[in-house]
Amino acid sequence: MGSLQKLNRYFKKYWGTIALGSIFLTASNFFLVWIPVLLRKTVDDVASIEDLKSAESFSSITEVLFNSSASPILAKNALLLVGAVLLSGLLLFATRQTLIVASRKIEFDLRNDIFDKLLKLPQSFYSKYTSGEIYVRATEDVSKVREYFGPAYMYTINTLTRAGFIITMMVIVSPELTVWALLPLPFLSGFAYWVSGYINDYSRIIQEQYSTIAGRAQESFSSIRLIKAYNREAHEQKRFEQESEAYRKKKLRLDLVESLFHPTLNLLIGASVIIVIWKAGTLVMEGTLTVGNILEYIVYVAYLTWPVASLGYTVNRFQRSMASWKRIDQVLTEPVEIEDKAKTDSSIETIKGRIEFKNVSFRYPKAEAYALKDINLVIEQGQNAAIVGRTGSGKTTLVQLIPRLFDVSEGEILIDDVNIKSIPVHVLRKSIGYVPQETFLFSDTIAENIAFGVEHASQKQIEEAAEKAQVKENILEFDKKFETMLGERGITLSGGQKQRTAIARALIRDPKIIILDDSLSAVDTKTEEAILQHLRSELQGRTTIMISHRISTIKDADIIYFVEDGSIVEQGSHKELLQKEGYYSAMYNKQLIEDELAEI
Amino acid sequence: MNRTSQDKAVDRDLLRRLYFFIKPYRWYVVLGVILTLGASFLGTIRPKLTQIAVDEYIATNDLEGLLWIVVLLVGALIGEFIILVANTYLTRWFGQGTLYSLRNAVFKKIQSLHVQFFDKNPIGRLITRTTSDIEALSELLSDGVVNIIGDMFRIFFILYFMFSMSWELTLVSISVLPILFYATFLFKAKVRVSFLNVRDQIARLNSFVQEHINGMAIVQLFSREKKQKKKFVSINSGYRKAYIETIFYFAIFWPAVEVIASLAMALVIWYGGGRALMDHVTFGILLAFVQYVRQFFQPIQGLSEKFNTLQSALASSERIFSVLDTPNLIQDPQQPRKLPEGKGRIEFDGVWFGYNKDETVLRDVSFVAEPGETVAIVGATGAGKSTIINLLMRFYDVNKGSVRLNGVDIRALKLSDLRSNFALVLQDNTLFSGSIINNITLGNPDISEKQVIETAREIEAHRFIERLPGKYHYKLSERGASLSMGQRQLICFVRAMVYDPNILILDEATSSVDSETEAIVNKACERLMEGRTSIVIAHRLSTIHEADKILVMHKGEIREAGTHQELVGKKDGIYRKLYELQYKDQLLPSIDVKSA
Repeated sequence: MGSLQKLNRYFKKYWGTIALGSIFLTASNFFLVWIPVLLRKTVDDVASIEDLKSAESFSSITEVLFNSSASPILAKNALLLVGAVLLSGLLLFATRQTLIVASRKIEFDLRNDIFDKLLKLPQSFYSKYTSGEIYVRATEDVSKVREYFGPAYMYTINTLTRAGFIITMMVIVSPELTVWALLPLPFLSGFAYWVSGYINDYSRIIQEQYSTIAGRAQESFSSIRLIKAYNREAHEQKRFEQESEAYRKKKLRLDLVESLFHPTLNLLIGASVIIVIWKAGTLVMEGTLTVGNILEYIVYVAYLTWPVASLGYTVNRFQRSMASWKRIDQVLTEPVEIEDKAKTDSSIETIKGRIEFKNVSFRYPKAEAYALKDINLVIEQGQNAAIVGRTGSGKTTLVQLIPRLFDVSEGEILIDDVNIKSIPVHVLRKSIGYVPQETFLFSDTIAENIAFGVEHASQKQIEEAAEKAQVKENILEFDKKFETMLGERGITLSGGQKQRTAIARALIRDPKIIILDDSLSAVDTKTEEAILQHLRSELQGRTTIMISHRISTIKDADIIYFVEDGSIVEQGSHKELLQKEGYYSAMYNKQLIEDELAEI
Repeated sequence: MNRTSQDKAVDRDLLRRLYFFIKPYRWYVVLGVILTLGASFLGTIRPKLTQIAVDEYIATNDLEGLLWIVVLLVGALIGEFIILVANTYLTRWFGQGTLYSLRNAVFKKIQSLHVQFFDKNPIGRLITRTTSDIEALSELLSDGVVNIIGDMFRIFFILYFMFSMSWELTLVSISVLPILFYATFLFKAKVRVSFLNVRDQIARLNSFVQEHINGMAIVQLFSREKKQKKKFVSINSGYRKAYIETIFYFAIFWPAVEVIASLAMALVIWYGGGRALMDHVTFGILLAFVQYVRQFFQPIQGLSEKFNTLQSALASSERIFSVLDTPNLIQDPQQPRKLPEGKGRIEFDGVWFGYNKDETVLRDVSFVAEPGETVAIVGATGAGKSTIINLLMRFYDVNKGSVRLNGVDIRALKLSDLRSNFALVLQDNTLFSGSIINNITLGNPDISEKQVIETAREIEAHRFIERLPGKYHYKLSERGASLSMGQRQLICFVRAMVYDPNILILDEATSSVDSETEAIVNKACERLMEGRTSIVIAHRLSTIHEADKILVMHKGEIREAGTHQELVGKKDGIYRKLYELQYKDQLLPSIDVKSA
């Protein structure tokens, strides 16, 4: 149970609150028990008054309640009852305000810890798990673990203390009757455990079927032309209806169990009450119990219903919380590979920008085949290098190794003749302006997105960067200009605008090395030409690595590497490569025609 | 004020239309209501029976009588259990049935709508209509209606039994109800607002997490870990705050309900105790009242719950019916004409078209494809090539001019008659999840597996299919992602071929194939076009230079038309220029041979 101990550490910070909450809850249940006791007392008192003063007759109800020898007794009992009820209610309020609030605070801590870990984990982690898997751990699983600290804990204490007090009182009145009255309750617990487990498992199955339905709809709607072209509407309808029917059937199975749930609770509690009436009735006839005791017992049983049922539910919650916690713990114990280590040379504060790959091979985690094989290349400081090749040939993988998004599997990468593993990670990354292939902007303002990689950027810096990336004009056209929100809660930029914003985000860091991974693919060739024209002066003096599918983009590069299947197969200047009449010149010829087609 | 009465009219209308889907089950609904009546009666009579037990048998030491009452109690309890189970399942059953037919109706409607509808509505929204909007009706249809009635029955019976025992005590004990109503009302209002806030915060938190999982590389590349952590903590504490607020309301409400219920008990015991001393009220009645007071609170809570359910269900049904009401712009004509026999002669006659009002994609396009002819369309992206196909298949209707098949305007034909003439191979090689064979036949029972295999052999797709595990029954994952582009293309070709159409349409069908498979694909293409009228759109001139007719499109117009030879012979022609560029070294000699 090592992992449970680890989880319980989160209790520590709030142990005072939680202890207090547990005391409140215990006290609340203590006062709750007074209610049936006082009910019984009133009935018994009334009976004894009746016996004593059977001759006395009352003329009106007001006289009885306010102006007779019986009225103080009645009033005292009623007031005590109200007092007990109020105290119990108040304490219950305090319980929720402490225990449940503490569970939310623990959840807060847990979420922060997980997010913090996610920030530190290397990209190899992100390629090992799907983003969906990570997402579930950071969201749903946390909510489930929260239930352990909140409801599960609270219900456990509640069940223990309430059942403790009530059963004690019951035993004091009549041990025999207690046994009889409690007889159906274990079944209640077991049943609740079974049902909540079944509902949970089956809900997952239903959720899957629900996704299948959505998937079918998605597939049909997105292929609507093909379906219409082949007159297959009826067939698609049939396929959809099959899934729809499967969903209905699965749902009905769950419904069957759910429709058993409340009636069965009702049945078991009712059985307990009937047993009380039968057994207590005979005991009353024997003279060992009073009618007040029957009343008392009926209320006891009612008060036990929920705690006993929740016991089954809680056990189930606990199991689920643990399963979620195991998944979270997996993330929390995942090693942070890429961080400064002992051999890091902390005296390195800047870099110049000469890049060298020495026999670099790389394999993605979990992958069998190498993505890069024995790469050797040198890019001098200030040089403009280009990497070309087919989709999937390894170009992006190659440049991702430079800022250590991944570490090489074999060989080494040197910057200024120093192994990049010896350079402090933040120094290395600070010196690189990386424009990734898939532009990723955050749901934030444009200014925030551009200034993403610098501390305290001035408005002027932001505007300059936007200017250099040729996106400033577009931004100024928006109503809120640089304060325009992007993403879900804001506007959507066009592909080209996004890419140029990402370029601005890289330029504002004034980096020694710039990596442009197919960064202008979303604009047409002419626009690209214009942007590059401007960029060139900006890139002057920086080491630049450009990946592109367009020959026009890279033909002026100092050196071009052609990557095929994870290896460099050709290298040289544009002219040299054309003369080779190999991969590069084939690609060049093909593009000439496509450009021509676009231009007519 | 005017608006609300209008809203009510709309709500009534929605309910009336929802009733249409419930109608097949209406007798079951009636049965459900009757069962509910029974359950409510059996559930509420038990305290009354305990009263009788205490007053008439326990007080008089009548053991036999007590036994008799206990038997009745057990009978009522078991009876209630059986009816409750049966009734809950019954209502769920017809609820699911209604949802099932509603879901299918929505899917059918969306699928039948014109293609333009899909251009205008994101797929995600359409999926929501067929799934979660239907789901939102689930509660209303499966539990809602019958339970509302059940709750009312319960309240009625409880009041009936209470009044029959002591009207005075009844009035005293229900005197706390106004407080309960007020507390519930206040709580619901507060909680709704605070839950909206919670939902907002959850969405914010989750989308922040989602975004950062996807964009983690950027955060790390730009060394933004600390700042993003700070942002997360602030969003996370907003989330925590929102929840703690709802905890507060619940912390007040649940104890308050308990307090009010117990207050009612205190009143019963105090006033009833007094009355008992006057012999107006028996101990049995006190016992029954204590139970009734507790029972009373349940249906009242339930009713306030159902009101919310009803509201959200109405919002969803409004969206659902707005889809069901969408008029279909492309429909079968009232009196469709029969398509004259023929191998497929296509004629575009002065066709004008635009997807939106203010843009024109095709301008005065006219051409004829004679039966068996191959017409190739060349042009840049956006020149209008695919639009021609969209109009020919009648995915859209022309703005001006006419498209004719075998001499008949296609708008005069039944859509299925028209479309059964074509087989379409699209650029994106659309495949579905499911087996290869199903992807080829598209579930058409008229096409046998033998036919499929023969066809696949013919165009050399058989070889790679044979090598797959399960062969023709190999299940494709995620729309064929496990196959290569070329393989997916070949499957689309087999599909087109087994449908044995009069007219074949290839929309840039060979553009995404790697050079290895290109040869096979080209051969398959040729085989496919044999003896059929074909319309071919392609980037690669190699696939089209043998066409009977080549149309060169530019900005929505046909700029050049003719055979390869004619067009290559045209000085300063667009086609000639393209051709020279592509084949400057390799192919030109072979042309010379041909023309010689």
